[in-house]
Amino acid sequence: MSNHTRAFVTVDRGTATTAVAIVGPVAGRLRLLGATAGPAGIPEDALLERVRRRLTDADPGLATALGLDAEGAAAGLRRLVATTAPPPQLVVIAATERVVRPLAAIAETAGWRVRTLVIDGAEILAVATALADRRVDAILAGASDPPGAHERPLIGDLGTLVASATERRPDLVTVLAGGLATPGGRTEALFRPDRPGPTVLAPSAAVGDGVPLRSLLDGLRGGEADGRRALSAATETLATVLRRRVEVVEIGCSGGARVVAGWQPGEAAEVHWASVAGAALLPRAFTDATLDAVIGWLTLPLDRLRVRDRLRELAVAPWADAAGDGAVLRLAAARAALGRLLDLTPAMDDLPAPDLLVAAGGAWQVAPGPAVALALADVVRRPGIRALGLESARLLAPLGTIEDPGERAAIVADLRDDILVPLGSVILPAGMRPGRSAGMLRVTGAGGATDIDLVPGGIELVDLAPGERAAVDLRFRDAVDVGVRARHVAAEVVGGLGGLLVDLRDVPLHLPGRLEPRRELLAAWQAASWPGMDR
Amino acid sequence: MTGDGPFAGDGALTGDGPETGDRPLTAPRWLDEVTLRRMVESDLVTRVALPPGDRPLVDPGAVILPGDTLLEHLRDRRIDEVDVKALEADRPLAGSRWAPVPGRRRRDRGAEGELLAPLPGRGSRWRLVTGEHRVAVSAVVGGTVVEVRPGAEIRLRVDGLALRGAFAAGAPARGRLELATDPFGDLRPGGIDVGRAGSILVVGSRIDAEALTRARAMGVHGIVVASLPGKELRDFQASERRQRAALHQLEPFGVLVLDGALRRPISTPVTTLLEHLAGREVALLVDPPALVFAAEASELPVVPADWVRVRSGPNAGAEGRLLGLAGLRRFAAGVHLEAASVAFDGEPPVDIPIGDLERLA
Repeated sequence: MSNHTRAFVTVDRGTATTAVAIVGPVAGRLRLLGATAGPAGIPEDALLERVRRRLTDADPGLATALGLDAEGAAAGLRRLVATTAPPPQLVVIAATERVVRPLAAIAETAGWRVRTLVIDGAEILAVATALADRRVDAILAGASDPPGAHERPLIGDLGTLVASATERRPDLVTVLAGGLATPGGRTEALFRPDRPGPTVLAPSAAVGDGVPLRSLLDGLRGGEADGRRALSAATETLATVLRRRVEVVEIGCSGGARVVAGWQPGEAAEVHWASVAGAALLPRAFTDATLDAVIGWLTLPLDRLRVRDRLRELAVAPWADAAGDGAVLRLAAARAALGRLLDLTPAMDDLPAPDLLVAAGGAWQVAPGPAVALALADVVRRPGIRALGLESARLLAPLGTIEDPGERAAIVADLRDDILVPLGSVILPAGMRPGRSAGMLRVTGAGGATDIDLVPGGIELVDLAPGERAAVDLRFRDAVDVGVRARHVAAEVVGGLGGLLVDLRDVPLHLPGRLEPRRELLAAWQAASWPGMDR
Repeated sequence: MTGDGPFAGDGALTGDGPETGDRPLTAPRWLDEVTLRRMVESDLVTRVALPPGDRPLVDPGAVILPGDTLLEHLRDRRIDEVDVKALEADRPLAGSRWAPVPGRRRRDRGAEGELLAPLPGRGSRWRLVTGEHRVAVSAVVGGTVVEVRPGAEIRLRVDGLALRGAFAAGAPARGRLELATDPFGDLRPGGIDVGRAGSILVVGSRIDAEALTRARAMGVHGIVVASLPGKELRDFQASERRQRAALHQLEPFGVLVLDGALRRPISTPVTTLLEHLAGREVALLVDPPALVFAAEASELPVVPADWVRVRSGPNAGAEGRLLGLAGLRRFAAGVHLEAASVAFDGEPPVDIPIGDLERLA
């Protein structure tokens, strides 16, 4: 990718679907010429041919100029490929529950599927059997540094059990953290140095808020073109190019990711990110709580057994049954997954709120844009005013694989209008008193001014077309939290497929506990934002 | 199960359906946009669990036949402590077998098993997994042992072809394949008797847990079904757990689910294949879920390139001919999806989301 004068292809290989796009020069800058996606088993070249065919039909002159007018011509273009693999399994083991918990919390945000084991009070045979399980890809064994009095009697068993597991499976990747990670120490000496799998010494979970350990664990999985790692790099570039604070929430079939990239004038962008297997659309460890979370967002009158069966079908063929009830079910599962993603990354809630919130990943792709905007507003309940976007062509991860930050920035700058589909903006105030008008909102756009009475508890939708800008003037009776605590707030918002969403519901969102009224309430909110949906 | 489907025929299962004149057997390029699933595959590698304490009786590279003993399973695993110092100078590896030296008076006389892990700070003392009740586990399918991982698994590359399923439950089993219903049918508990003992039954579109447990009690070795709802699966698995815990166990019994949890018939090419295999010995595997059988490639049904099946959605289970790509179409709930035009049984073509379609080859 040394110059911007030639067309190229981006490929985002997910575990359920593959997305391809053709990018090429138009009037001196790179533009997205077309994109599509299909089930993961479909050959990439067939998807590329679909895009090429449409480009030729829509603009034969451009297709000819780019040499894309002949069948199969797109297959010869250079490709940027990002691949997301199913998360590998990591067993996190420690002497006590108190030690294993922070280790597991870090590992869960490093892209691993985590299973925890504790020596204290456990049957040794059950622990050894779990460590020898063929599905285990790596072991993280940790202790406090230095080990506490409650751990010391159990450290010996911890070391010998893990070392024995590596004797059964010499290729097993083993990470010793904290008090077990003394170079040349007693624990490390238990591991045979000539075995094919590495034994890695790592800092404890307490060092640097766990960032060094998380970074090490993240580096032990995935390939060079790992899709979620690349998404992080591309989000950083996007924040720099847009000069905005950007948050991306990605929900995929095998996992999710949350990336927050800040931007300050004259400073390098600061990026925080987490790859979370538990935030998959349907996580491997599917429990009754997971099912309840999906049912809690579902507007369809289906019983538990039926929902479970539908979700099982979704797990077998994640690309199928995407219309009608299937779309509703998928979006409910995506909301539940997004909730898990936020729950598992609480540290990111302490960062400044983003200016732009982006939905990425296959889970969001089939629902209409306004419905995705509402789903984001339903789950991400941070007070403030922000723009919403959908990464529909799935360009970010492939662009993130470009190693040179300068080149990546140049391409992202060219594609800044194409990477995201604008969903609109959301105004989300918190701390309003329920039951009466909390104030007035004036939206002044190209078509004139609109006044809205701010009645707590509901949602107001204001038409604001994609690309259109409007000035909003919020006047509350009492001071409320809109990112800052104030009675009078003025801001500029941008339109999108969902327009301007004025979300006056509770923060956090309180829904009825009983299923039927809850469904009715969700359906009423959804009705306005999902054209063609009758429930 | 009648033989009047589009893939029916006597003897070898070749033939391209009722409208044979213009149906392509090689796929035009645009068909690549519709998911293609291999109906059967070869060189399948199956896994047999080998938890700590179980003793493998085969080595990597060994060629085994159905019925050969693969391992010795410990039913009452427990941990003993033994002193391995006297056995050998080198430190033994976890996972290796250990037995006391014969003829010595020792406290650990009689303890024989697998070394689990050394006891920390206790010199040559080890934890040993041992037990009294051992049962031989036989291979349900022939093949070549690829790998033996003590404490984890035995991997076996199976001989023959495999029809893959969506998921399976129970245990691997072997038996004579029999067709109990037509592809659309349900098998009720009353429809199973001891006359089916030793068979692997193909039961059509779905079955419930009661019929599964009755089939197991009647000596049936396995069930092949298109779909199994989650409730029936969980009830059956609970019954299996109770059965495994019992002292006197029945024959191994497995369930192979070909498609998923929602009701749909078995596809016509698969039905044709199963009809052809009826009466033969087959093996039902659980990991991965598959039905393994011996057949020549010429015995497999030839599926026309434009044959398609609706896997999901309102038309699930329907089969037809792919006429062409339809591009982006608006479907229920205002969702826009890539679609293909499909003709069902001479009806006017309809547009179906490509994601809901599958071809077989």
